[in-house]
Amino acid sequence: MDWLEVISENFMVAGGRPLEVVDSVCAHYPLVMHGVSLSIGTTDPLNRTYLRDLRALARRIEPAWISDHLCWTGVGGRNLHDLLPLPHTEETVRHTARRIRDVEDFLGRRILIENVSSYMTYAHSRLTEWEFLAAVAEEADCGILLDINNIFVNAFNHRFDARRYIDAIPVERVVQFHLAGHADHGTYLLDTHDHPVRPEVWELYEYAVRRLGAVSTLIEWDDHIPEFAVLAATAAEAREREARALAANRDAARVIGSFPQAHLK
Amino acid sequence: MNGSDIDLRRLQEIIYRLIVAPTGVANGLAQETILPVGGLDSLVAGDDRMTPVERVEIYANGYFYRILDVLKEDYPATLTVVGADNFHNLATGYLIDYPPTERSIYFAGRNLAAYLATHPLRERFPYLADLARLERSTLESFHATDAKSLDADAMRAIPPAEWPALRMRAHPAMRLVESAWRVDRVLRAVEDDVTWHPPDREPVTIVVWRREARVAYRAAETAEREALRLASVGGGTTFAVICEAIATTAGESDDVASLINRLLARWLSDGLLIPAAD
Repeated sequence: MDWLEVISENFMVAGGRPLEVVDSVCAHYPLVMHGVSLSIGTTDPLNRTYLRDLRALARRIEPAWISDHLCWTGVGGRNLHDLLPLPHTEETVRHTARRIRDVEDFLGRRILIENVSSYMTYAHSRLTEWEFLAAVAEEADCGILLDINNIFVNAFNHRFDARRYIDAIPVERVVQFHLAGHADHGTYLLDTHDHPVRPEVWELYEYAVRRLGAVSTLIEWDDHIPEFAVLAATAAEAREREARALAANRDAARVIGSFPQAHLK
Repeated sequence: MNGSDIDLRRLQEIIYRLIVAPTGVANGLAQETILPVGGLDSLVAGDDRMTPVERVEIYANGYFYRILDVLKEDYPATLTVVGADNFHNLATGYLIDYPPTERSIYFAGRNLAAYLATHPLRERFPYLADLARLERSTLESFHATDAKSLDADAMRAIPPAEWPALRMRAHPAMRLVESAWRVDRVLRAVEDDVTWHPPDREPVTIVVWRREARVAYRAAETAEREALRLASVGGGTTFAVICEAIATTAGESDDVASLINRLLARWLSDGLLIPAAD
């Protein structure tokens, strides 16, 4: 493995084995922090205690970057522990971008936002999902963690062209890719992170590499985790497919420019 | 108000209420009093594959089963004792009384023992809340603040004359669980994957601690209960007070000096104590 991603909240604890493990891992591997509870799109105030804990963890493990999701996770002080989609409106772009900038000011660094998988859209949305993601990233001046599996899942769930989505993403803002498996429920696809990456998602990944270049890629596998050999083989396949896609489009073979973080392979 | 006029705050509040509605999204929807004209259809887009209600239900199911899984993982003995069906139902009730408020899902189950203290299941399983409290304590111990324990070498380095005034307190990962039932035996049986039996009604103080990142627990001896309680309160206490507590609760046939030696050696070996400031 070249580098690893940790779920930030799992290590925002007082002590014990989780911190012992993360200390040990970050002594040997580059790490990035990926959060699930920032709730950047909620209408509750930003949770300063959470941000302080996040900043403390970042100071401890010095991640290459910090990311979280373009979503809301709760309201009124209650938490759903899920990543809920936001309405794709100008109002939400302004609301979310303002909060991302506040978070970046607090942390003293730029962050990445990730597109989420979703199972509903709002009737009053006026922007497409890709327009919304790009507009938030531009207005907040933040990076993008582009989840290829989430694009595929949403393309099925909401009937859009996944390639059109990737075509609309601002190249210079993409710092990381996610790949993962999903489950097919017939009328919808569910992002589960407990299956192998599907062939169609691998193809979309190659398309994304051709368009967006060599971007640090992470395989998410959170449940029903297979033998390490399977994980290693999946990572190796990502490298092979990236190389193939780059060979097909040499113009794309470059490290993303506007972010200071290095390409982590 | 039309769906297109709704502000983000109100939209999120409505969606939240529908997701957590204990009897399903459709019933939750029937109880909504401030929906815009056009109802849920004016807020959430449906299509020929799924209605708006069905789409919100994906989130509602995800919410419940995600927390249920966390509760099952955090409370394996409570789950074993009451069975899967009862556990499912009590999780439903628990989420009504104690919806998650913290950013980490680790906290989602922290109030289960308090919930069980007044739950009808206590008639059948009067020890259930205590068992849940013990399980929660092992989790808290696992995540508690790190601190360097007092060990035998540290004690030997201190001149014996200074021992009586030496202040010590419980390690941040140590917990004392008081119970009228031997719930520690139930948890042990479940952890060892052997048949569990309803616990004896017998007052017990269970010491939970962490050593080398692993959590352990045992029933405290009678002579050490009060001493460990004193070490757990506030800034701790002195070694002299701890010795006095042991002497006071020791049996008549006990050799107090050797009892103190034995208990202290065990505490130091288990890492139960840390130095405390004066």
